[in-house]
Amino acid sequence: MTRGIILQRLDAVQFAMWELHLYMDTHPDDLAALSLYKKYEEMNEKLVCEYEEQFGPLYGNSDPGASWLKNPWPWDIGGSC
Amino acid sequence: MFVYEKKLQYPVKITNPNPKYAQIIISQYGGPDGELGASLRYLSQRYSMPFPELKGLLTDIGTEELGHLEMIGAIVYQLTRNLTPDEIKRSGFDTYFVDHTTGVYPTAASGFPWSAAGMQSKGDLIADLTEDMAAEQKARVTYDNILRLVDDPDVREPIKFLREREIVHFQRFGEGLRLATDKMDCKNFYAFNPSFDK
Repeated sequence: MTRGIILQRLDAVQFAMWELHLYMDTHPDDLAALSLYKKYEEMNEKLVCEYEEQFGPLYGNSDPGASWLKNPWPWDIGGSC
Repeated sequence: MFVYEKKLQYPVKITNPNPKYAQIIISQYGGPDGELGASLRYLSQRYSMPFPELKGLLTDIGTEELGHLEMIGAIVYQLTRNLTPDEIKRSGFDTYFVDHTTGVYPTAASGFPWSAAGMQSKGDLIADLTEDMAAEQKARVTYDNILRLVDDPDVREPIKFLREREIVHFQRFGEGLRLATDKMDCKNFYAFNPSFDK
């Protein structure tokens, strides 16, 4: 997958996870929502691994140095898609 | 603590710079109903929240607003690339440019710099959650106004995404307020129950 396609899938999966996360702040006992969250979480883990192998770390608490600093940054043209 | 994720919540890729649009959209960076104020409002109010659901809700929405601040910064940054002095003068961007060049600065479109006077942290859950619901509606109207003024689909798409988020946050805050009133004194019919005296 190209960087753009992985990012697009990450955006989609993380959006679903985040929506469920906020929903569960006010519906903490909804187990169906929790199991849906777990499904997306699995997809997310695979995508994050695939992204990081090819394009460097996604999170500020992972590998420092050249791979973290590598362009593009999210606000650069082509940085977010 | 916070950990940075090196991606935007929703992609921003603007092909055609437009300083006029940047001058309008900067209001959601540092204006009275912008993302910076939203984030600081929720992240500050959370300390006095008595229930775990509300501590979580304010932490989570306050954090998401930081991601929205970053998206607005990216939009303004990309809209102000490669400008010529002539474009800056013709577009009216000159009044921003003289103070900040093309740096991204938290200000309202009117030129008033970001101010904490546009938000509250009242230490009372009913007062704070009611403000939060109003804040989401005011931000939604600002995005509606931006959509009335901006034609470029590259700019409209991320703005439409942000507008939708205000609606979802309004819904969640409404649920938070209902949950709070349910948990308070059952005789508290008019939803006054000062947090401080409890």
